[in-house]
Amino acid sequence: MSEIERQSMELDIVCVGFGPAMAGFLTTLTRGLADENGAPLLESAVMPGMPPQVICYERADDIGFGVSGVVSKARGIKESFPGFDPAQVPMCAPVTHETVAYLLDPHGASRRQELLGLADKALGFAGKYTSCCRDQAFELPYIPPFLCKEPGYVFSIGQFNQWAGSQVMGSGLAQIWPSMPVARVIMEEGKVVGVRLADQGVDKKGNPDACFMPGMDIRAALTVIGDGPVGPVGRNLDEILGLPEGNSQRDWALGMKMVVDLPEDCDLPEGYVLHTFGYPEPDIFGFLYVLPDRVASLGIFVPSWLDIPVRTAYRYLQHWMTHPYLWKHLKGGKMRSWGAKSLLESGRRGEPHLVGDGFARIGEGSGSTNVLTGSGVDEAWTTGVMLAEGVLKLMKQNQPFTKYNLERAYVKRRRESELEAEAKIAEKARDGFGKGFIQGLAGMALSGFTTGRLNMPGDHRDPNQRVPSIEEYYSARLSAQEIEAIREECAAKGEPLHDALMDRVGWPSIEYDGQLLVSHQDALLMGGKVQAPGGYADHVVFADPNVCLKCRERICIDMCSGQAIAPDPEGGAPLFDREKCVHCGACVWNCSKPHPTEPGRTNVEFRAGAGGLHSVEN
Amino acid sequence: MDKILFVAQTECDGSLSKASLEALTAAKTLAEQLGAPLAVGLVGEAVQAAADSLAGCGAEAVYGVSGPDFAQPRYATDAAALAALFGATGAGIVIGAATPRMSRVLPGAAARVGGVSDTSVTALAASGGKPVVTRWYYRQRMYAELTRKERPWFVSVSSGCFAAYAGAAGSASVTAVSAEIPGGVRTQVTGMICPSAEEQTIRPDAALLFVAGAGWTKKQADGAAHAGEAEEIILSFLNKTQGSLGTSKSLVDLSGEGQQVLSFLSHMHQVGQTGSTPRHPKGLATCCHGEEPHVVGWRFIGERRAVNLDPNCGWAQGKADVLYVADAFEVMRKVLALLP
Amino acid sequence: MSAGYHIVVCGGIVPDPLQTLEPVQGPAGWGLKNELMLPAILDPWAGHALFEAANLAKNVPGSKVWLVSMGPKAKLQQVMMTIAQKVPFELVVLDGPASGFADAHETGAALAEAIAAIPGLDTSRLLVFGGWQSASRGAGATMQVIGEKLGIFEQFQGVDKLEILADGALRVLERVEGGSYQDSVVSGAPAVFGWATGELPEPPNNPQVGMQNMRLVMPALQKAKPVKLEKGPEYSGVQIPSQKRETRVVKDAPVDQIAKEIVDWLSA
Repeated sequence: MSEIERQSMELDIVCVGFGPAMAGFLTTLTRGLADENGAPLLESAVMPGMPPQVICYERADDIGFGVSGVVSKARGIKESFPGFDPAQVPMCAPVTHETVAYLLDPHGASRRQELLGLADKALGFAGKYTSCCRDQAFELPYIPPFLCKEPGYVFSIGQFNQWAGSQVMGSGLAQIWPSMPVARVIMEEGKVVGVRLADQGVDKKGNPDACFMPGMDIRAALTVIGDGPVGPVGRNLDEILGLPEGNSQRDWALGMKMVVDLPEDCDLPEGYVLHTFGYPEPDIFGFLYVLPDRVASLGIFVPSWLDIPVRTAYRYLQHWMTHPYLWKHLKGGKMRSWGAKSLLESGRRGEPHLVGDGFARIGEGSGSTNVLTGSGVDEAWTTGVMLAEGVLKLMKQNQPFTKYNLERAYVKRRRESELEAEAKIAEKARDGFGKGFIQGLAGMALSGFTTGRLNMPGDHRDPNQRVPSIEEYYSARLSAQEIEAIREECAAKGEPLHDALMDRVGWPSIEYDGQLLVSHQDALLMGGKVQAPGGYADHVVFADPNVCLKCRERICIDMCSGQAIAPDPEGGAPLFDREKCVHCGACVWNCSKPHPTEPGRTNVEFRAGAGGLHSVEN
Repeated sequence: MDKILFVAQTECDGSLSKASLEALTAAKTLAEQLGAPLAVGLVGEAVQAAADSLAGCGAEAVYGVSGPDFAQPRYATDAAALAALFGATGAGIVIGAATPRMSRVLPGAAARVGGVSDTSVTALAASGGKPVVTRWYYRQRMYAELTRKERPWFVSVSSGCFAAYAGAAGSASVTAVSAEIPGGVRTQVTGMICPSAEEQTIRPDAALLFVAGAGWTKKQADGAAHAGEAEEIILSFLNKTQGSLGTSKSLVDLSGEGQQVLSFLSHMHQVGQTGSTPRHPKGLATCCHGEEPHVVGWRFIGERRAVNLDPNCGWAQGKADVLYVADAFEVMRKVLALLP
Repeated sequence: MSAGYHIVVCGGIVPDPLQTLEPVQGPAGWGLKNELMLPAILDPWAGHALFEAANLAKNVPGSKVWLVSMGPKAKLQQVMMTIAQKVPFELVVLDGPASGFADAHETGAALAEAIAAIPGLDTSRLLVFGGWQSASRGAGATMQVIGEKLGIFEQFQGVDKLEILADGALRVLERVEGGSYQDSVVSGAPAVFGWATGELPEPPNNPQVGMQNMRLVMPALQKAKPVKLEKGPEYSGVQIPSQKRETRVVKDAPVDQIAKEIVDWLSA
């Protein structure tokens, strides 16, 4: 495609992906570009006489689409907005109550270590005689300080991003363009000189079709990459540069969540924060935050260290919601929206090269998430703020965006920050989970209470290396013949395996109520609302389809949040349907086969794609 | 007391369309319920024949704007005619049919005489001594009952909601009204482009709406698409049943993506969110998928049946009376064999 | 027509049709539940009108396109970020309701006033474009009202094609009954066109078009005039149709039997 004539445009700063980090970056940057009266303080290098030309491209159809409910201490956000009033942001409330609960398994279907089974029995026994364990759950009498979120806020990242984004846009000093996926960085002589936008008017494979418009080259002195952990531009850069020595991005989780109208009789107060663990699998964490107007944001995280070869987020979410401890609050509730997103759980260990000549990385994809405190939004915001402060300083001094200058202006700032100090404490906090749930909890406590001086050793295999075969995993419960029969039956029906296998090993069927408990397909239609503008290539691609033919697990199908990856009835590699993809990125790490050429990656490639979820409530 | 004025444009042959006769029933019924006087206003090249056909409707007077200028369905002349008819009668409520010709001008005519309008109403009746109309919003996703204080109030009535007026014909006296055309007429209707008899697949008066979904063009069990055969089956079925054809947005859109599609489809066939919501006594949907927003295409279909391979098909579950879980190609081939 | 056309496109915003829409009555009257949180899009038929306008302007040198839009300012800003990448236009904003329950005549009057106030607008060259119906109110009334208020009495609805003839006259195809088109010729501007689907595909997003539009979009939003609609219908209720049909599912039946059942039903 190199011969195609591409248009090109010159900017001062081009940004990729509008999430909390970019919101922090652009908020801080635009404030520094003008004085109190709105008069420009700096001049564009590419358009003399104009203020610096700053543009952010976002693949979703609007800013703030398809993200999540969150609880955050919001320290960085509050610093950016002194006197922050949560009433200004829809769906935002101060944290008022915090509970952490351990959920027992009412059905005995989850995988539990022996020791945990004993503990469960003890809790169940104690629950009969005391009030410590009600509704098959044990509420922790004490919440470790590193997990506390008070004083903080519960809010919708979507609504917050819209709020922050509209202020950035309103300043007139930066533009945020949605529905515009960025394909990759443009590198010349080892420097990033801009980005190339995705081609439009192409067929599924990317070949020119009606209305072909080659993706434009956007050239800029500085490229700011904040497209998240599965963002194609950040990953493209990692492919080129590799990760810094010793760093890796092996730990992931899929957050699947809903926004729910709570039933009239629900008495959970606004600002209520609940975190759970123990069920539907011990290491699946859950959250429920009560936002204003009796609306809850809730969901679960299915981690990459959940070594089950038929894992699924949607059904687990339903089992979690119907746990007696939660169902007492949720019964009669109504789904408003639904969504999913991959989280990079490697934290600081997953940090890529933060800067280079002409580029800087911010946000979750830059390894900013704190895996001990389970906090990422405010950290992402803060990285954006720190970069903006550095960039403003360089611009005012007329300094070029070289690696050296960006190291001084941004990386140094980041290294000296509280964020970095906390990230270091957290760096190994979750390692224990690689060995088992109990080790994981112990590891978090150890890291948390010793401020990272002592840590539980981990198991650092790539996600695809962790997946046992289905036969291996179910050996105690199902024979290989039974599994093969189920596999054949599912293949004939064109259905994924996980439902049949979960039914078979004792997971109860979900009784649909038509408003909160609905089929996965209905959830997509009622709560998902995926948009996939025409004329873009498929963004999920199986690097070597022949590898898929031999794959016996095909977790990519089971874990696909949008049912966009489905078995091929003709027996080929799984089929991808762009019109169902919510861009959660789960396929990237839920693949049991290594990439043919890229070490540490799987056989699934996640490229630039437009659209995704069409909801800002999440 | 509101005077009610029924307005209609005549057809090429000087008669009134079925839709207009339905609107007359609506106007007459409302007048009776309110105890209000009814007047008739007609527009066309010649209006006497139409007036005579309504002689028994109980109107206190019949007014007509006629002449060669008013033969053509165009805004400038039709709006002037409606405004003049209103001026001649001083009606409080003006009621016409929501035909394309009337829909083109009715709201504009209302605006010209300082009035308001509600279009494509599906019900119209007196309630508590006030006229109340029902109309749909957000592409037939919800409906409202409403009334208005402002007069004149121009209302157009959707077809298929009232029985067509079928009173005795007679001899009517028509008061001629002259219409002033501000700014003259700069538009000439030069003709109609109609699908030929074989290509005619949209039949508003058909007893049956046949909805073809994207499934018709997808790969079938043998791994190949059979758009050619699908075309043949659908056209033969429509010819035999004289049914009207509707399609889903996804099928119409497929043509834009260069896929094999049915050659006779256009955007005018599209039913649903961004298409039409036709009214037919029966509907048969085949190979259609989608949820609520798309299914509004058969909101106004009486009896509904669907053929689909997916038993959970959103088009059918809770929306159709009968869902046949089967291959539409096989079923429709057999149906064709059985039809006379 | 060497001087080109002045094309004013009237286009409102509507909630993305894929969303769950539920009516609620608030202090300001009827609206949709969570209306401000529902993602909005440019009204689809108005979108077609805009693309047709841009195409016409491209083909007739000296033409210019304005987009006049009424809606809550914050929502309009969001929608404009998508639309402004498609085709070049100058935006005129009315900060008012975009609700389907707002009155067409009030809306039309406000839009006509805004159009009349566009600096430099030459009404002798004016073509007013819009959707023939909105996806919210769906009345098919606003365009006619605008035309009347502006004194333009050459109007067309359900337009799928507009062609400039050699003598400068405009040939128009309007949708009428039974899949037919009415073919008309109007001698020239000014005229009003309520578009149906038109003939053009949605243009790709073009960053340069976006940049060019944005210089005028933000100022237009900033100086948007607040509009209050005073009058309108008295709603006695708004409801979602609740009839859910009992669906008889016929599974595993022989094709012959299904076909016979359908034929019997058709002839009943």
